[in-house]
Amino acid sequence: MLRAGVNAITLLGDSCYAPFRDDVDQAATSFPLKWGDDAWLGATRILRRHKEPGIDVTFLVRAAAYVDLDPLDALQFHRGQQQVVTRAFNEEGPLDIWVIDTARVTESDDILATLSEYEPAQYAVRGYVNRLEGPHDLRRLVVDSLNSRCRLRPQGSETRPGVWVDEGAQVHRTARIVPPAFLGRKSKIEEQCLITRCSNVESNCQIDYGTVVEDSSILSNSYVGIGLDVSHSIVNGNQLLNLERDVTLEIQDPGMIRRNAIQLKEANLQSADAFGWEEFDLCAGPGRGKARAGFR
Amino acid sequence: MLITKPVVIMELPETLNRETAQKFLLELQPLLESHRPRIVLDCSHVHYIDGSGVEMLLQCLEEAMKRDGDLKLCAVSPESEVILEFLRVERVFEVFLTSEDAVRSFSAIPAEAVSQDAPFYAGLFGEVQPLKQAS
Repeated sequence: MLRAGVNAITLLGDSCYAPFRDDVDQAATSFPLKWGDDAWLGATRILRRHKEPGIDVTFLVRAAAYVDLDPLDALQFHRGQQQVVTRAFNEEGPLDIWVIDTARVTESDDILATLSEYEPAQYAVRGYVNRLEGPHDLRRLVVDSLNSRCRLRPQGSETRPGVWVDEGAQVHRTARIVPPAFLGRKSKIEEQCLITRCSNVESNCQIDYGTVVEDSSILSNSYVGIGLDVSHSIVNGNQLLNLERDVTLEIQDPGMIRRNAIQLKEANLQSADAFGWEEFDLCAGPGRGKARAGFR
Repeated sequence: MLITKPVVIMELPETLNRETAQKFLLELQPLLESHRPRIVLDCSHVHYIDGSGVEMLLQCLEEAMKRDGDLKLCAVSPESEVILEFLRVERVFEVFLTSEDAVRSFSAIPAEAVSQDAPFYAGLFGEVQPLKQAS
């Protein structure tokens, strides 16, 4: 958005997500998150505030789907349509991205009333869209990103073609990383491990001796034990979701998988500047998971 | 004359952790110590299995094979399948959908069921020569 010339960005969060505020605030160092009882009310206040300094157009984006949006194109379309509200759509239906004429919104309206009152112009998104409605979508986004099917790019540096390694990640010389793959910040891949088929190991994870991670996502602060086979799955702490069988297991044996507590503590002490996939509740229903990017 | 022993089907408990696995192993021990034990473990009630449970299954299989027998699994839930895969042991066990299928798999193929005709490829090679002569 900044690259497209947007000059003020406000992040708003519902207070129900306050338990995660440390993680989210770390991710949003440039734009600290403002917490409120209701993010929509917060958005209403911000919209009214925008009227004063003469900000004529506001983009309103609910953090739900991943969308490769061209803001300038959307803005030009909005201006051409001369409607108060423009909403982004793709072939599957509406997306939670609106362009709003700030000046034409009345003082008394809250944002939800504004959005329902005005018939929006429909802006067709031409770029990549992933609605992130569940863990399958999260995994698809990782695969698409690693295969350059969308603009999302893994963080860190590409140490060899298709292998992205973020700061502080350690890979034992006997471990094998088959591209495309992503190793997050301060992740540790032990001896004889194999990371393959579009797998991503997020920040502060440890993959122990001889374990194979194939077509899987290991979310931040997870430990995966010795000699295991993680295939077509997402691991989050002690939760294992097998996407092929649609089975979620909470594993009580800390020798197999667990939350990587020691490193989590370290992580909280650091001022994280990175985005990492984080806290995606594998038991949550569609659209309820809270994903955060290990990619930028 | 070969006398075949019956196949014993046993149901695994709902939870297979260290405690229940040890208890189950005690129950199974006399059977495992018999000659050529033929065992089917019915997994249909298993909701949770951990590393100790899988270790117990491997131990039983090893014991059965030591005595020229075998141990097979049936009705494995998707949850248990995920754990077996996760611990890399799913290929070690013969797994069947039902206990009937598992029991049937122990039966030897009767001699009369094997075709006594020449194999289909015999015509392709002509008469097979003794190895020494052919070389």
